[in-house]
Amino acid sequence: MSSPTSEQWRQWREEGVVPLPDALTGASLATVQQSFDAAAEKARPAWLEAVAAGTLPAAFFDIPQPLAQDPLFFDLVDHAGWYGHLRAFTDERVTFIQPQFRTVPPSPLSYVGWHYDVPRHNPLHLKVQIYLDDVSRDEGAFAYVPGSHLADSGPYPLVGDLAAMPGHHVYGGRAGSAVLFNSYGLHTSMVNRSRRPRRSIILIYEVGTAATFDPRVYAGFDDRCVTPERRQLFRLEPRPEPVVTAV
Amino acid sequence: MNAPASPNPPPRIDAHLHVFAKASAEFPREVSDHLPAEREAPVERFLERMGSHDIDGAVLVQIGGTSLQHHAYLLHCLRQHPERFLGIGLVPPRCEDASGHMDRLVEASDGRIIGVRLGALGGPADPFDAVDVRQLPVYPIWEHAAKKDLVIWLYPRAVDAHVIPHLFEAFPQVRVVFNHLMVCPGPKFWWDDKGRPQADVPMPPETRYSTMGLKIGRILYNTRGHYPYPNVCVKLSGHYAFSKQPYPYEDLVGWQQSLRMVFGCERLMWATDFPWIDVDPGYDKLVGLPQRTFADLTAHETEQLMGRTAAQFLRFPAFRDSSGWLTPP
Repeated sequence: MSSPTSEQWRQWREEGVVPLPDALTGASLATVQQSFDAAAEKARPAWLEAVAAGTLPAAFFDIPQPLAQDPLFFDLVDHAGWYGHLRAFTDERVTFIQPQFRTVPPSPLSYVGWHYDVPRHNPLHLKVQIYLDDVSRDEGAFAYVPGSHLADSGPYPLVGDLAAMPGHHVYGGRAGSAVLFNSYGLHTSMVNRSRRPRRSIILIYEVGTAATFDPRVYAGFDDRCVTPERRQLFRLEPRPEPVVTAV
Repeated sequence: MNAPASPNPPPRIDAHLHVFAKASAEFPREVSDHLPAEREAPVERFLERMGSHDIDGAVLVQIGGTSLQHHAYLLHCLRQHPERFLGIGLVPPRCEDASGHMDRLVEASDGRIIGVRLGALGGPADPFDAVDVRQLPVYPIWEHAAKKDLVIWLYPRAVDAHVIPHLFEAFPQVRVVFNHLMVCPGPKFWWDDKGRPQADVPMPPETRYSTMGLKIGRILYNTRGHYPYPNVCVKLSGHYAFSKQPYPYEDLVGWQQSLRMVFGCERLMWATDFPWIDVDPGYDKLVGLPQRTFADLTAHETEQLMGRTAAQFLRFPAFRDSSGWLTPP
């Protein structure tokens, strides 16, 4: 199980983003890549129909209901490459919201601009993005403005060119690398100017609260959630309220 | 009638509408179930609307056929009212001499046809296929628009949405007016019992990820960015075709707020899409729609949206003066 180093704790607190190089490697990575391609191939014809109908975006392709496509995908949610970090950064209260198994085709325009995912009154919201391809800055890499997750950060300008955002950092990496980030911070997907699609898996988490507790969402995976930790992670059971010590 | 004002007050310009005559030898046009030979939306009726609502100018968009002959009524209207109207023409599908056709439209209108409207772009249907703009059937049209400084009036189909930024990138000098709220409709088109075209599209449009590329959603002010292509404007029009609600189309307010944030009123144009709106909700209602949509619209924004943007971007000769209206935004 992963565990943050002191430097990663500093990155998390001060920058809001923690690169996790080689979080998936070797045979594990190859298997995920192959399974991803197989699931994508199966879903592509329906996606192409929806693109032509204007009912799904052409700018990215998400495998529908990915956790149901392969048991391997379900196990990525609490994969040892990042799960220890998630638990540490949420004081052991992480819950899983949803996955995005996303492929981004080349385009001169990114599908998304600089944005926050949630307002600051939302409980802590975190994402892990795992590259399944080698990704350089011009291949749709993830980018973040370090420190923008802090309440006293900004203001940040509105830009037309993503690369014009002051203070941003582009997090490229080898296939299997991951980036864990605090969704209060400004982030985007840089333009994919290459000639190949960029595959990645985005796993979305949040600190467990009564508002997000919903045992219906992952009820279909009940048989895979045999430990208390997994049942709470997948919101089949509520996270116990934190113990408040009276002073 | 309201003569075009110069130098003040700012012009009010309806940036997109159609006029057409009954099909005749003088004004030949294609007929169809929704545009039968006897249906008409004469320019005189539109001039009445202009007079009643202090509209100074308008962009007449060709309908009823793509050949030069089919443009007869549009050319007639432009010649009769050169101070009020500019025109947008059409290019025949698979036209082997698109540049010649465009030149003939411009020449026949004494330069008042300022561009052409495009629907199908003919790109690869699979967004994962490489896009080579030089292989697109519309490439000669864009190339000629760049050469002759003509405007592309863009109303693409959903299947072509991902091709659009490639064209913007290849032709940054071409002025583009994205039609009807930047919607790229799918194939589900029909005409309702009021004679209005209807399109079944999710709103906000899913094609926005390809065409606009900025986040919209739960946090309105999270639409953080400006459009990277400065020569692209968007028309606020076509609501009746996309909304699931009657006027004032409140289900489209959020999307229009996003367009306003991204483009600013310096790059937005008000338009009615007359005659389709003439009965429901009525021309007067369309004139008041921007104020209903944006409760906090400033006087400057109102002037831009209601005509100054169109006067500047489309270079209406009637509104050329020393106040800078022709200065690009």
